[in-house]
Amino acid sequence: MKLLVVEDEIKLAEYLRKGLTEEGFVVDVAHNGVDGLHLAMEFDYELIVLDGMLPGIDGLSLLAALRQTKQTPVLMLTARVRVEDRVRGLQSGADDYLVKPFAFSELLARIQVLLRRAQPAREVGNATVLGLADLEIDLIRRKAVRAGRRLELTAQEFSLLALFLRRQGEVLSRTEIAEQVWDMNFDSATNVIDVAVRRLRNKIDGPFERTLLHTVRGMGYVLELREE
Amino acid sequence: MSRSGIGSLGRRLSYWLAMQSLVGLIAVCVAVYGAAQVGFEARQADALQQKEAQLRHLLAESDEDMGTLRHKLDEFFIGHADMALSLTRSDGSVLYVRPAPANSVRAVRFTSPARIPNQDPLVALLTLDIRDDVALLRRLGFTLALAALAGTLFVSVGGFLLVRRSLQPLRDLVEQTRRLAADTLHRRLDGSAQPDELEPLITQFNGLLGRLELAYEQLEGFNADVAHELCTPLTTLIGSTELALRKARDASELRDVLGSNLEELQRIAGIVHDMLFLSQADRGVTARRTSTPSLAALARQVSNYHEASLADAGLGLEIVGDAAGSFDTPLLQRALSNLISNATRYGQRGSTVRVEISKASSGEVVLKVVNKGATIGSEDLPRLFDRFYRADPSRSDAHRNHGLGLSTVAAIARMHGGRPLAASSGGISSIGMTLMDEEGLSGSVKATCASESSASPA
Repeated sequence: MKLLVVEDEIKLAEYLRKGLTEEGFVVDVAHNGVDGLHLAMEFDYELIVLDGMLPGIDGLSLLAALRQTKQTPVLMLTARVRVEDRVRGLQSGADDYLVKPFAFSELLARIQVLLRRAQPAREVGNATVLGLADLEIDLIRRKAVRAGRRLELTAQEFSLLALFLRRQGEVLSRTEIAEQVWDMNFDSATNVIDVAVRRLRNKIDGPFERTLLHTVRGMGYVLELREE
Repeated sequence: MSRSGIGSLGRRLSYWLAMQSLVGLIAVCVAVYGAAQVGFEARQADALQQKEAQLRHLLAESDEDMGTLRHKLDEFFIGHADMALSLTRSDGSVLYVRPAPANSVRAVRFTSPARIPNQDPLVALLTLDIRDDVALLRRLGFTLALAALAGTLFVSVGGFLLVRRSLQPLRDLVEQTRRLAADTLHRRLDGSAQPDELEPLITQFNGLLGRLELAYEQLEGFNADVAHELCTPLTTLIGSTELALRKARDASELRDVLGSNLEELQRIAGIVHDMLFLSQADRGVTARRTSTPSLAALARQVSNYHEASLADAGLGLEIVGDAAGSFDTPLLQRALSNLISNATRYGQRGSTVRVEISKASSGEVVLKVVNKGATIGSEDLPRLFDRFYRADPSRSDAHRNHGLGLSTVAAIARMHGGRPLAASSGGISSIGMTLMDEEGLSGSVKATCASESSASPA
């Protein structure tokens, strides 16, 4: 999967390149609008991460020029929170935007959503039974079982567990969990997610020897089977 | 001082006073002059009439010869140097003449029967010399005009000086105002030496100064608060990073430090995000409204989000009432989430948090979250919505609650044309907001809604 990052801030561009490469993407970086547009026109990228403020050609102009011929998905990065900018960004053909400062996990999540949207055939989420190790849930009968024992979960806890199982091995940020499970699209300063995850963990891991739901400090939570 | 549209007040006043007095004095002078003229004319007419009667009598009575008549006529005019007469016969021959000046005369012509020299009637032209009267009238007119001009000048200069004097306190006021600066906002204008007319202006200006001082203090306090809020996580960041670099540490230890640093950084980012949101609301960005069929459903969704926290705090939750309207749904979710968080934090274990939704007849929607718990002091109530205000700063969850939650609620209320609400008594606290439905807003506000859009978070 080949991505293009157009970002003039060298340190930020370098960290994006490193992070995305570690996630298994092939990453090209351009530090100004002219190079960025040239690369975007020359090669076929799966997705472009584009900074809104660039020397040479600014992000919006680059996008407008690109959209003349190509429909490559574009994720805009912007430091300006003025909503007009966001709307302009989306109207000018950006597929999504992210306001600085943002967490890398947030960026990754947005990129994955955009890539999935571009290739819906890759979606594998239509299984009705999901499981990890001795934990299993049935999405239709809304039943969760671990080691043969039935787990009593509330509807919210069931949805949360289903998300973790569907995205097992992937670190999910609090923001993304709030968005996916409760459709809450704002950064909340509350510890609501932490409490919800803790209560879920008490039910699915509490009585058992091996822990499946792990906290990744500063980033979020992940459901996976770790070597003891 | 030609900047203002109407120019100098003193000059304008003295000009108009001069104009008015000029017109008034001219009217008086014209009246005096006219009356004098009429008086003179009446006296002249009287004199002529009297002499005419006497002459008629004399001419009718005399039956002597021409010489005697001339003599009588000469005698008649003794002491009347201002009078002249010419007597002519009907054929045009002159019988008697006493010369009159060429102009400035008043004349009367009459025909008189006479005995001599024959029975022919005589044509008499009696004239009165009025040169003295004319001169007198001219002098009077001149004097009056001069007096009018002098009076006008006096009133004009007097008015100008008077206005200047009366405006002296105003200049003092300007001087007082000039001395005001941002750091001396506690000063007020002294209105003791000012005329009554300026009293309301000074009162209003001092009121404005009071409001400015308050706003300035809040702003300064706000800046200090921001710096303080950012100081704590920054200190932690600097310290822990420094400590980690001091000696060789293994990977898991470093990972721990980085994780902890990330948490602090996210806290800073959260504060910055919230402050940007608040500053947008302050700049007057309004809500991006979409049709919201049920606020109760929205409250249900948000309460589901808080289910675990509420259960953890041993609290139940019920939703009372419903309303529909046009609101910015993501913003309302955020506001409600903050309100429920607040109720969760302060609610008494085992009690029920109640979300109340009601619609007033005025079209105003009231959204309140009510919880049992310690009564909030009346001095704290108005400060609840202040930025970074925490009723109890020493609480253990202060690190997650950065004190912008309720100010965000207030901002969202304002973005919907409403205001925040807070009440607390008898162990029951009710915090919420009013929202104006779009129909309740005027057309101009609607237009703003269309052109600007809200700050729904990413």
